[in-house]
Amino acid sequence: MPVWQRIYEEINDPDFVIICAAQDTGGEAAAGPIFDAANPTYIQVVDEDHLVSSAFNFVNVPSAAWIDEEGRIVRIDEGTYSKVHELGVGDQSISFGTNVYEPALKDWVANGAQSKHVQSAATVAGNIRQHTADQQKADAAFCLGNLFRKHGQDNKADEYWNMASALNPDSVNFIRQNLTLSEEGSAGERFRAMRDNFEATGTDYYRPIDIEH
Amino acid sequence: MAKAFMAYPELRSPFEATQIHPEGSATVLYQGKTITLSETGSGDELLINPKDLGQINGFEIKPEGACFRELCIPLNDQLLVEQDGKQWFNLTAFANLLDQPYVADHEAGVWSFAEIPAKRANMMVDAMAPDIELTDRTGEVVRLADLKGKKALIVTWSSW
Repeated sequence: MPVWQRIYEEINDPDFVIICAAQDTGGEAAAGPIFDAANPTYIQVVDEDHLVSSAFNFVNVPSAAWIDEEGRIVRIDEGTYSKVHELGVGDQSISFGTNVYEPALKDWVANGAQSKHVQSAATVAGNIRQHTADQQKADAAFCLGNLFRKHGQDNKADEYWNMASALNPDSVNFIRQNLTLSEEGSAGERFRAMRDNFEATGTDYYRPIDIEH
Repeated sequence: MAKAFMAYPELRSPFEATQIHPEGSATVLYQGKTITLSETGSGDELLINPKDLGQINGFEIKPEGACFRELCIPLNDQLLVEQDGKQWFNLTAFANLLDQPYVADHEAGVWSFAEIPAKRANMMVDAMAPDIELTDRTGEVVRLADLKGKKALIVTWSSW
């Protein structure tokens, strides 16, 4: 989050907005402190029902869309890391993310339709994930689970979250949001098994970023 | 044992068990809204007071049909039904007609609807951003349609 704030300040254009939407059923308690630590001035949303992911057919975080002045999407659905992140130390360390996204974003804000990173409507439409009726139904099941959890009915909450995952097995969001509520957490053994399975079956964890260096 | 990375098992049951709605009511979930309906028809289909349609999905009953902007769905006796001398709008039949998926928990009287595919047709074909509404942390409603004239980066993240 601090990275997006830095980028937002560096761009410093009154006609550019960032909307950061936390896909967090834990609500303000889960996402609020992380937002606060970044002192953000961009638009901050705690999106308990994952409405943004649902609206754009995103299946993982971070994902993003660039929307131009006419309301047209000009890039969509890439692993939207704003920099290379390093986690852990020694043998356990991992690095992920990319440094190519930030300059591309800045180029678009400065040059608009002339930016080489703007994609045609046909390319963007082709990059939007086509969700089946079952995958759309998964979003409804997920929201139903959230309602039951808010009302302390955890068995039903789990039932509908599991339904959501079964209907949309591509959703890393659903799998990991559910794993956060387990003892092993969202980055444990089951997460690694899921990643291995995605790799083995050629399922996108993220769509590779198609930006020139 | 040290707590695992990004594990919040205490959040599985953070809330007291509470009633979702008063006895005899029904609840509809759609696009982040939770709508309590004080009267519905009986049966497994969701029969609503036609006056409640607008607050659920923005459609209005007009002489030419149930309409949202230029889209009008002609009414028929599957959509407008009589029961106990009252007229109801069959919201689940409407959803089926529009290929709008939903999940119902009949025991609790809750219906959760996915987005209406026709409302997203412009995105899937012409890459026009969907007209979604979000509430920011200050309580302000942010509509993507209101951002016209500006460039916007909309980006998801999570605490997990």
